[in-house]
Amino acid sequence: MPTVTIDERQVTVDPGTSILEAAKKLGIFIPHYCYHPRLTIVDACRMCLVEVKGAPKLVTSCSNAVADNMVVFTDTPKVEEARQSVLEFLLINHPLDCPICDKSGECLLQNYYFCHSRKPSRFKENKVKKHKVVDLGPKIVLDSERCIVCTRCVRFCKEVAGEEILGIFNRADHSEIGVFPGKKLENNYQGNLADVCPVGALTARDFRFKCRSWFLCQIDTICPGCSNGCNAVVHFTLRNFNGLKGQRVFRLTPRENNDVNKVWLCDVGRWGYAFVDSIDRLTMPAMRKGEDFVKTDWNTALKETANRLKTLVERYGANAIGVIPSPHLTNEDLYALKCLFGCLLKIANIDFKVPGFDKGEDDKILLKADRHPNTKGAELLGLSGTGLSVEAMMDKVKAGEIKALYLAGSDPVKYMGEKAEEALSRAELVIFQGTNFNASCKLAHIVLPGATFVEKEGTFTNYQGRVQKVNKALEPLGEAMADWEIFTRLGQMLGVFPSYRSAEEVFMDIAREVAPFAGITYKKIGSQGIKLTLPEGPVLSEAKE
Amino acid sequence: MAVEFSEKTKEKFKVVLGKYPEKDAALLPALWLAQKEFSVITPEVEEYVSKLLGVPLVRVREVLTFYTMYTAKSLGKYHLQLCTNIACTLLGAEDILGRIKNKLQIDVGETTPDKKFTLSTVECLGYCGTAPVIQVNDDFYENLTPKKVDELLGKLK
Amino acid sequence: MAEPILSRNFGKKDSHTLQVYVEGGGYEAMKKALKEMKPEQIIQEVDKSGLKGRGGAGFPVGKKWSFIPKESPKPKYLVINADEGEPGTFKDRQIMEQDPHAVVEGAIITCFAVGIHWAGIYVRGEYVKSIERLEGAIEEAYAKGYLGKNILETGFDLDIVVHRGAGAYICGEETALLESFEGKKGQPRKKPPFPAIVGLFQGPTVINNIESTASIPHIIKNGGEWWNNLGAPGIGGGVRLFSVSGHVKKPGVYELPMGIPLREIIYTHAGGIRGDKKLKAVIPGGSSAPVLKPEEIDVPMEFVSLAKIGSMAGSGAVIVMDEDTNLVQVLRVLLNFYAHESCGKCTPCREGTGWMAKIIERIEKGEGQSEDLDTIVSIANGIRTRTLCPLGDAAIGPAISFVTKFRQEFEDYIKRH
Repeated sequence: MPTVTIDERQVTVDPGTSILEAAKKLGIFIPHYCYHPRLTIVDACRMCLVEVKGAPKLVTSCSNAVADNMVVFTDTPKVEEARQSVLEFLLINHPLDCPICDKSGECLLQNYYFCHSRKPSRFKENKVKKHKVVDLGPKIVLDSERCIVCTRCVRFCKEVAGEEILGIFNRADHSEIGVFPGKKLENNYQGNLADVCPVGALTARDFRFKCRSWFLCQIDTICPGCSNGCNAVVHFTLRNFNGLKGQRVFRLTPRENNDVNKVWLCDVGRWGYAFVDSIDRLTMPAMRKGEDFVKTDWNTALKETANRLKTLVERYGANAIGVIPSPHLTNEDLYALKCLFGCLLKIANIDFKVPGFDKGEDDKILLKADRHPNTKGAELLGLSGTGLSVEAMMDKVKAGEIKALYLAGSDPVKYMGEKAEEALSRAELVIFQGTNFNASCKLAHIVLPGATFVEKEGTFTNYQGRVQKVNKALEPLGEAMADWEIFTRLGQMLGVFPSYRSAEEVFMDIAREVAPFAGITYKKIGSQGIKLTLPEGPVLSEAKE
Repeated sequence: MAVEFSEKTKEKFKVVLGKYPEKDAALLPALWLAQKEFSVITPEVEEYVSKLLGVPLVRVREVLTFYTMYTAKSLGKYHLQLCTNIACTLLGAEDILGRIKNKLQIDVGETTPDKKFTLSTVECLGYCGTAPVIQVNDDFYENLTPKKVDELLGKLK
Repeated sequence: MAEPILSRNFGKKDSHTLQVYVEGGGYEAMKKALKEMKPEQIIQEVDKSGLKGRGGAGFPVGKKWSFIPKESPKPKYLVINADEGEPGTFKDRQIMEQDPHAVVEGAIITCFAVGIHWAGIYVRGEYVKSIERLEGAIEEAYAKGYLGKNILETGFDLDIVVHRGAGAYICGEETALLESFEGKKGQPRKKPPFPAIVGLFQGPTVINNIESTASIPHIIKNGGEWWNNLGAPGIGGGVRLFSVSGHVKKPGVYELPMGIPLREIIYTHAGGIRGDKKLKAVIPGGSSAPVLKPEEIDVPMEFVSLAKIGSMAGSGAVIVMDEDTNLVQVLRVLLNFYAHESCGKCTPCREGTGWMAKIIERIEKGEGQSEDLDTIVSIANGIRTRTLCPLGDAAIGPAISFVTKFRQEFEDYIKRH
């Protein structure tokens, strides 16, 4: 194991570690453009030059491995001068249009210029003209004049997305990124291009011109797009400009997790957040009056829900109620649901497995066929197999044996079509608790607005059994409420129920009661999640009374 | 009509392919064959070559645009490629360039309206000992003088 | 004048044919090498010869061969660099056109010594005749059993392929050449790994210049020491082909000892300056070599001596400029060349070469200022040693040397225009 001295501090690293990576271990950041930890090294931008004692010239820290006893300096005048020079070169043909560039504020050319140069331009010549607003398909736009030809995007497409589609055409200072005329990017990972692009050359249509980056706050989250549980950061704003049109969440970007998603997000997941601020969000409890829904307050809605459930159980028994939760809900939501319906009301007919819920397309990279973030959690919490299946419940509704359906975030009509539609129309009582209006909600008698994944604390358990944390970025829209909280309030109306004040408190109970979660805390989950030790075979853990 | 090599060229291509340890290496030779056969390497030709070799289309385009000798646009019957690098310039290549421009009434990169001549300037052709030099298609004319250029242009029918 | 060696067949009728080549003693070295020598002995002889790469970098050829691992899971390759693109250089073309069998023979010996069974000759696209001649020679050699399977019944196999470039100076850089050979655009690779370890198709690869390769048969035939002694006394390294162009009375390729004074090349062999004018400047080793002033031309033409005075031996191309030469124009031509030929991969070269070219163009148009000259030098210093491959340093050779050595002339030009 070589030991290297960088800026007078020592670090021992694995053989073959680059100087840049070794420096990172010491917390020393070496600016770079073409280098990306997940892509092949091309040694092209020359921004990461450092001084190595004894070397006749500066060396690129991305491509040179440390040697034992190597002495490296990353901040000498010689190094700074080289950085300034590279920046000057990169800027001569770069348009100085930061004020209208979407990358402004998070552009590495801008950042490094302010950190390392701040020199006026000496360039008196005409800039090279290149293509602007190049259409690379429905997701990404290219501005070649802003491109610094670092080729991260080219390598990303080829090496990660498995699509050799971007290339560099021409040569010298006319080098230009592009696709073959008429071709468009087709892969499911294009959003990452806007992330890996260090400058404003590649931007996502979804985000372009919507919000300046400096108006955005960030918080760690988990992509709810599928059961893979990709680690992400949600970018949101607390401001309320007219121009934002009520939009609060602006994008999801990937967050590194080597065991889950490396540093990538797929497009399906990345751009699946739109429901959060969508016009069909449920923001108030409501109750059906004839054909219409009438908005009401939580007290009225919850009282009505509790009373009607109670009456039905009393009149027909617990088996007259079916509960269909969604694996979109967090472990905390689902545990509270289980406590309420399973333990308190003794309802056995709880099943989250709406037929077809896990039959999307698996792209063999990140995106899983099951487009729900918490299927494994729902399984571990025993939310299937205790009573009737969803399909059987529908039949029983039709037969008049099941009188009420409680849809917790689920949308059976979407998956089962007419069969569910018919059942929901026939049921004496349909309660829909969820975030957005949908075909199932349309048939409900009581509507309870739930909070989305960015509006609550909680955890998801991904397909591998890794428990990962989502964090509350925003207050729930309107009167919406975290699902676990709704269940808690209902539970307290219906009997003896824990007075959970936070998702963390719910989780502490999960850790206590559900074997695979034993010993886990929010703190231990941290930012990278924690993998459960799963028992062999199907897990049907019972939440205790 | 779909672009396709003639049987003879296909045969040649097969020979070329057999020479290389790896298929991709035959891309430059394949483009040479294509240029010979079709004169111009159009996008359709690129797609054909890409399929022929199983090389991604974007790589064909990269190669095509990187090298100066492949032509993506149609040229005149005679492609005049005048070297204007150092040895030729020292011995009057730029005067000769002016002469040709004047005579043909075209600028560098242009083709005469009768599609007879296309004029290009090129980098050192390796004929510095007999500079200035002009390459016309595959032939080289050395030790150029304005008079010789006039004669040459007259000769090329 | 000494008997020509490398150029002994130049000018002979049908010198490119096997018959003429064999009449002049051709393929004897190959027979000697394959039948009488062990690979290590061959490498030793080449080492002793002091032969340094004739492409430009001047790396000792024997040493290069010895870097190739003996055992390799991947096939080993020989790539012969005939992408002769360095402005002012035209000697490899002479060899290929007039003595192609020397290249074939040299290749056979090289491959036998290093344990290679596939060799590729990368010829620049413009050299149509060279390609024809090489292909002709290779065909003849196959027919004669000098190539193919079981050469001379020694059990040694070798195939040679001629690969045509398509117009890119950068492909003369060895790793760019490998990329181009593999069917990609010619952009240099990062080093390490060096081609001797990971080269063509990922296999260990020897990359030698045409002239270097053509020198091998002579070294094997007459011994490394003999070759070394052909160089100037105290310098050694054999003979090399100098391409002389520009304002001399007799431009052409001259075979002369390594270390011959530049003055002798210009005034004795090339006949002096045309019209008996005064010498203003001379580039001693291809356009990338920093320019020399008349008072510097007593320098011995070999790698170390030229490096000492801040220039380089490069490809052995001598470009002579007389007193009437407009150096602003010359520098514009050269800087445009590098700007045009930069592959575009690394920042300083891609952006810096283009910038310098634009400035000198503006100066030539009469829109320059004295401070623009400082900017050129400062851009050049920003490129110096910081590029991925040597093209950056090649471009700044002329930029810095012309502007600093002939500053007054540039200043005068700016004032006058």
